[in-house]
Amino acid sequence: MASGSASMARKLAFAMYGLLNPIPFGMFVAALIFDIIYLRTGEVLWNKAAAWLIPFGLIVAIVPRFINLGFVWAGRRATATRIDKLDFWLNLVAVVAAIFNAFVHSRDAYATMPAGVWLSAITVALLAIGHLLIGAQAASAEATP
Amino acid sequence: MSTTLRWSVLTIAMSMAIAGCGGKASLDPAQQSGAAPDMPAAKNFLVPPMQVPDKAGWKDGQTPKVADGLHIEKIAGDLMHPRQLYTLPNGDVLVVESNGPGTEAVTTPKQLIAGKVKNLSGKGAKGGDRITLLRPNATGSWDKHVFLEHLHSPFGVQLIGDALYVANTDAILKYPYQSGATEISAPGVEFADLPGTVNHHWTKALLASPDGTKLYVGVGSNSNVGENGLEVEYRRAVVLEVDVASRGSRIYASGIRNPTGLGWEPVTGRLWAIANERDEIGADLVPDYLTSVQDGAFYGWPYSYYGANVDQRVYPQRPDMVAKAIKPDYALGSHVAALGVLFSASNALPEKYQGGAFVAEHGSWDRSPLSGYAVVHVAFKDGKPMGAPETLVSGFYSDDEKQLFGAPVGLAQDKDGALLIADDVGNTVWRVSKQ
Repeated sequence: MASGSASMARKLAFAMYGLLNPIPFGMFVAALIFDIIYLRTGEVLWNKAAAWLIPFGLIVAIVPRFINLGFVWAGRRATATRIDKLDFWLNLVAVVAAIFNAFVHSRDAYATMPAGVWLSAITVALLAIGHLLIGAQAASAEATP
Repeated sequence: MSTTLRWSVLTIAMSMAIAGCGGKASLDPAQQSGAAPDMPAAKNFLVPPMQVPDKAGWKDGQTPKVADGLHIEKIAGDLMHPRQLYTLPNGDVLVVESNGPGTEAVTTPKQLIAGKVKNLSGKGAKGGDRITLLRPNATGSWDKHVFLEHLHSPFGVQLIGDALYVANTDAILKYPYQSGATEISAPGVEFADLPGTVNHHWTKALLASPDGTKLYVGVGSNSNVGENGLEVEYRRAVVLEVDVASRGSRIYASGIRNPTGLGWEPVTGRLWAIANERDEIGADLVPDYLTSVQDGAFYGWPYSYYGANVDQRVYPQRPDMVAKAIKPDYALGSHVAALGVLFSASNALPEKYQGGAFVAEHGSWDRSPLSGYAVVHVAFKDGKPMGAPETLVSGFYSDDEKQLFGAPVGLAQDKDGALLIADDVGNTVWRVSKQ
């Protein structure tokens, strides 16, 4: 019974992770695109839009990051691979970059540039590497039954 | 897992703590006053320098402190955010009770948070949107009459002949006034429209020319430094000149970020203004100023400050405009937030306060330690300011800088030559006289 409910909780956590984890990545990618447009045009709409996306991305990231922490480091059966651990750290550094970026984006007008676009690029790059590694790991797991 | 969790939490907490460190001021206001203030290099912050005392209000019998030889008394209380004072020819004093119209949309996360922080000081309290009349009575106290109601974030008020002009945030209204009236019930006529969109800076200072043919209007910018787009800055950060006969207006001077007060310098008869300069590039930047306002001149905002000090936050940069920018005459200190000016050729205060300008400094969120929150006197010689500003009224915050009792805004001189001060946090009008 106890293991049954634990397994239910694990399934729920998996489902929540699958639902929420892509959202911050999408927001940070959008912020990067808006930052590049702002860098090139100076049109303040893009700067302000990016300034909202980054903190919202961080807020949405809280739950999936904690679920990931549990999966990678608290699995009793030690199922986490080196890639899973690397993905965890890439995400952590990306979150730190995004926190700094949220503050950089609170500056007025062009004072967000160029630091803002660099931090957005770093955030997206780190998350993208994590996604690629996890994706490749899943593909190779499928290939070798 | 617990080690990893601890490390993760620690990393995130540390990055937030590093991000949260704002700068402290290293120059005092006196070092940043006069014609050539010391200015450090501009700096961008993760969080700008910030210090906001909590509103406490005045206790019974508690007053601001005054310099030696002066006496201060409260002449009116329980007002609704009094911002401006104006003495009528018969000695009645008008108190404009007002605050921003709250029409600026929240378009950034910073506005959402900063708005809440700034309101702790009581500076965001609702304004009365009305004018109260104060009249001295035989017993030495002042009677209070509701003079004019249902205004829309009014600020400046001027009398020309029998016409009273009130500068709402979006238009100048004209009312008929009869000497001795304690109330105006006639509806106002829209006399001239004023820039009224966004209203990031909403106050419209008003000053009539001595001959009554022109009205000068101080119109503040719609942003700190252009972050809302330069298209919303049309006819903003300017002094407008309205022709009273034709009601037409033109830009008299531009590039003055927030000209909150206007006055005639009595010796030269020239137009002067106080202005609030830009925020968020340092606790010691940029000094607010007092300057003569030259016809057709450009004072730098947003492209530069104090002449050729370029502000890198503006896109596109405009070296051609920077080349045109002239230096203001006299710095008052960084983030003192000058919101009231009174030129006084003669008054009933001691000799050293004759012929010069009184400036009310409201204080700003963007400085630590606090600066401003005082009424100062700037001495003038041959029509030009000299020396450092001298504080005559202070004590608006507690010694530990945690509590705010009041904040000075509008200034006027009553018919006996005493100095009147509107206090919009303490909801009081103070009267300063010779001891």
